[in-house]
Amino acid sequence: MRKSEVKKILLLVVEPLAFGILALLFIIPTITVVNLEPLTKTLKEFDVLGLSNKAELQITIVGGTHQAFEKERLESTDGVYKYTTILKGRESDRYSKPILEIVNNKDEETILEIYGYTHLPTKSDITMIVNDQVYRLQRPNGDVETQQLLLLPRQKYILYLAIENFSNVQFDEDFELSIKEI
Amino acid sequence: MSKLLKRALKNSLIPAVLMIAGKALGIFILSAKYGFPLEIGNDVTGLFSTQIYFQDSDVTNFVNSVSDLVMLITIAVPTIYLITKTAIFQSTIQNPKTIVKVTKFNILKWITRDDTTFLKIFLWCAFLWLCSALIIKNSIEGDTYSWIGITAGLISLFCGFGSLKTFEVETNKVYPSNSKYY
Repeated sequence: MRKSEVKKILLLVVEPLAFGILALLFIIPTITVVNLEPLTKTLKEFDVLGLSNKAELQITIVGGTHQAFEKERLESTDGVYKYTTILKGRESDRYSKPILEIVNNKDEETILEIYGYTHLPTKSDITMIVNDQVYRLQRPNGDVETQQLLLLPRQKYILYLAIENFSNVQFDEDFELSIKEI
Repeated sequence: MSKLLKRALKNSLIPAVLMIAGKALGIFILSAKYGFPLEIGNDVTGLFSTQIYFQDSDVTNFVNSVSDLVMLITIAVPTIYLITKTAIFQSTIQNPKTIVKVTKFNILKWITRDDTTFLKIFLWCAFLWLCSALIIKNSIEGDTYSWIGITAGLISLFCGFGSLKTFEVETNKVYPSNSKYY
């Protein structure tokens, strides 16, 4: 094979690769900048031995990606935690996701008052699951129920949010969960 | 490999690096200056899963807004410079009065060499649009101050218009208008 032919074949391979690299030069900065966007999370407080010693309730967002849950946020004002998310339009099914990690750092039992609701009724059955125990938050007819959760001392709990609907939901809905220590 | 592709690759490197550097430096310098405690985690699964956490939602909002602004400035300033330089260069060709003004402002260096190509302006403008799109998305979601989103939108609009004018000038070089040259 002549040298010019080799060069021609090489160019055929290199050119599409160069286009790919050019595209990556746009894609990589975009993904990196999106990932660099800071999030809010209760940071762990450590003492000199590296152990957490603050005797209080600690609630942190689990995060992650899910087809039905989007834009999760957790805010805390005056001891009341407010978790918000967007429940995406979805097909009729049951969806669940771990949303919050609750740690009771106290040496005594703590009771939490929890209620959650969507801003518009969409005939979805919304529940939360803690230690395989199901607590109903909003009935399909829109009725909201306040639940109480007993937290044992020095225990960690993962709170799951579950939604179930028997017909397709076409629109996104805002969901809000309020957690208060009583 | 075509010359155009080679130059596109070469010219895209700097804005791509500056985009990431602007955002990252904005976050870390601001955190260091104001002493905001931050935590770097990788809770989100998938590509580039590193996340930066702040304790307070107001701090998160502030840091995200300012870092977005820093990123916008790092990309917008060179883009505006390139467009202005080309506009002045073209104006000096058509109007000798501009040379007097350029000399008065001591920016003769800008017009001594036409090293700014349309490709360069277009690539910088493309990165500016990318940045603006990300900032506007953040503004809509409430993660960035709305005035930064509006500023980003206006800058990208004007730069888009500027690059369009440059494109017109470049095409006039190849296909001069009949009334002028014939």
